[in-house]
Amino acid sequence: MTRTGKEDEYYIKTQNLSVGYDGKALIEEVNFSVKRGEVLTLIGPNGSGKSTILKTIVGQLKRIAGVVLLEGGDIRERTRNEIAKKMAILMTERLQPELMTCRDMVSTGRYPYTGHLGLLSEEDKKIVEDALRQVDGLEIAERPFTAISDGQRQRILLARALSQQPEIIILDEPTSFLDIRYKLELLSILKKMVREKNLAVIMSLHELDLAERVSDLVVCVNGDRIDKVGPPEEIFTSDYIARLYHMEPGRYDPCFDTLEFVPR
Amino acid sequence: MKQKTGIRIGGGFILLLVLLIGLLIWNINAGSVQLSVGEIFRILFGGGADDTANRVIWSIRLPRIISALILGGSLSVSGFLLQTFFHNPIAGPFVLGISSGAKLTVSLCMIFLLSRGMVSSSGTLIAAAFVGAMISMGFVLLISQKVKRMSLLVVCGVMIGYICSALTDFIVTFADDSNIVNLHNWSMGSFSGISWENVATMAIFCGGALILSFFLSKPISAYQLGEVYAQNMGVNIRLFRTVLILLSSILSACVTAFAGPVSFVGIAVPHLMKTLFGTAKPIVLIPACFLGGGVFCLFCDLIARTAFAPTEVSISSVTAVFGAPIVIYMMIRRRTGGAQ
Repeated sequence: MTRTGKEDEYYIKTQNLSVGYDGKALIEEVNFSVKRGEVLTLIGPNGSGKSTILKTIVGQLKRIAGVVLLEGGDIRERTRNEIAKKMAILMTERLQPELMTCRDMVSTGRYPYTGHLGLLSEEDKKIVEDALRQVDGLEIAERPFTAISDGQRQRILLARALSQQPEIIILDEPTSFLDIRYKLELLSILKKMVREKNLAVIMSLHELDLAERVSDLVVCVNGDRIDKVGPPEEIFTSDYIARLYHMEPGRYDPCFDTLEFVPR
Repeated sequence: MKQKTGIRIGGGFILLLVLLIGLLIWNINAGSVQLSVGEIFRILFGGGADDTANRVIWSIRLPRIISALILGGSLSVSGFLLQTFFHNPIAGPFVLGISSGAKLTVSLCMIFLLSRGMVSSSGTLIAAAFVGAMISMGFVLLISQKVKRMSLLVVCGVMIGYICSALTDFIVTFADDSNIVNLHNWSMGSFSGISWENVATMAIFCGGALILSFFLSKPISAYQLGEVYAQNMGVNIRLFRTVLILLSSILSACVTAFAGPVSFVGIAVPHLMKTLFGTAKPIVLIPACFLGGGVFCLFCDLIARTAFAPTEVSISSVTAVFGAPIVIYMMIRRRTGGAQ
C-alpha cells in the first residue's frame, strides 16, 4: 500500500452507503470517514441500526448501495486475506468454543498470517504473548475461554483483535453487560492502543457518557437515517440527545452526562 | 503448560496406535479357524502355512479388518465435520439421516441391477450412496435454515432417517429375489463380505476425502469461532461450507455403500477424542478421529463376529451399545454443565 503519508487522510470512508437486510434498505446515505488514530462511535436508540451499519462494513451483510472505501479503494476489490490483515472485529456474537484456552483464542488472530496448516511460528507466538500482555491477560492465558468472566472475555477478544495486527478495529457494543469498572478498563486499553499503534476504530456504544469521553467523532443513527455526524462537543447537548432518544428536553444533562429521572 | 498439551497429544496418539496394533492382531487371530500369532506372521510375511488358513486370512479377515479401519475412521471424521458445520456436538451422519438416505438409494440401485441380472460394482454403489446422502443432507440443510434449535434439528434428522429406513424395508420386503438375503444383511450394517476390489475403491475415495479434510484444518479452526469471525479471518464461507458438506457426505456415503448404516460412531468417537486429547483443534482431531474411529470399529466388529459365534450380530447393534451411552452422557453433561 502506498500511503501518501498525509496524516489527515481518511482510512475508511462510506459513500452514500445503504444498509439493510434482504435487499431492503433500512438506512440510506450513510456517509462518514475515520482516520488512523481516531475513534468513531455510533450512538443511537436500540434497534436504530448501529449493528447493521457495522455488519455491512465488515462484510457480514451485503451492502445495498454505495461503497465502503478502504485507503481510497473499494473494499470489495481487496482479497479476503488482505482485508483480514487490516481489519479486526469484536462483535456481539457469544463465542462458545470447545476446549479452547484464552491463549488459543488470541492465537486465532494470527490466522491471516499463518501457512496452509495454520501452525504458529515463534514470531506468531511472541505477538500473541504481547497482545495478552497489553490487555493484562497473561494470568488467565491458560484458562478455558468459556470459564472466564464477561469482562475478561472482552479483554481476551480485544487481545485477539490486536494479535491480528490490524489497522482498524470494528467493535459492536463491546461494553454491554460489563460492570462499570470493566467498561472503563476495556475502553482505556482500546484508547491506549489507538494512540500507540495508530489504529482507526469504529464502534457502537450504548453508554453516552463513555461515548463522549472516548470518541473523536460521533455518528448519530436514528432509525432510517444518519441524523448527525460531528465531534462529541457538538453532539452531546441537552436538546439534541433528548431528541435523538425521543425524550422530553431537559432530561439529559450535558454538564454531568447524566440522564435525569423526571417524576411524573 | 504448553509442553503439557504437547505431551498429552503425543501420548494420545501413542495410546491409539498401541490399541490399533493390538486390535489388528486380535482381529486377525479371532474366529472359527484358530491360529497362533507365529502362524499369522508367517502367513502375512511370506506364506508357508496351509491353504485354508492362508485363504481365511487373506480373503476373509484382512479385507474385513482393513475396511473396518478405513470405514470406521471415515465415519468419525465425517461426524466431526458435521459437528463443526452445524456447531452441534450431537450431529452425525447417522442421527441426521444421511446414512439412511444413502442406504435407501443403495438398496434401490442394488435391486434394480439385480433384477437385470447385474452385480453392482463398488463405484456404482458409492455413486448411489452419495446421491442418497446428498438428498438427505439437502433436507437437513433446508430444515436447519428454519430451525435454529440444535436439538430440534437432530430430531428432524432422526425422522428423515426413519422415513428412509421404512422405505428401504418396504422395498427389501417386496423385492423378490434370492439375493435379497445379502441385501438384508447389508441393510442392518456389517463389515462382512467385503472384497479386495471394494477395499481398493474405498481406500481411494475415503483416503482422498480424508486428506482433503486434513488440509482444511485451518479454515475449520476458524469456522469453530462462528461464521462472522471466520469471514473476518479471510475464509470464503460459502465455498468452505459447500466443501465441508461434500466431504462429509462422501465419507458417510462410502461407509454406507460398503457396510450399511453404522450408528453412533460419528458422534461418540469425536467426543471421546476431544476428551482424550483435551483439545478441539482440527489439526489434531482429524487424524485422532480417524485412528479412534478405526480402533472403535475394529473393537465393535470383533465383538459382532465373535460374541455369539457362529451367529454374527449387526455392527450397528454393537456400536449402538457402546456409542449411545456416550452420547447420552454428553447430552446430560451439556445440559447441566453450562448455559447453552
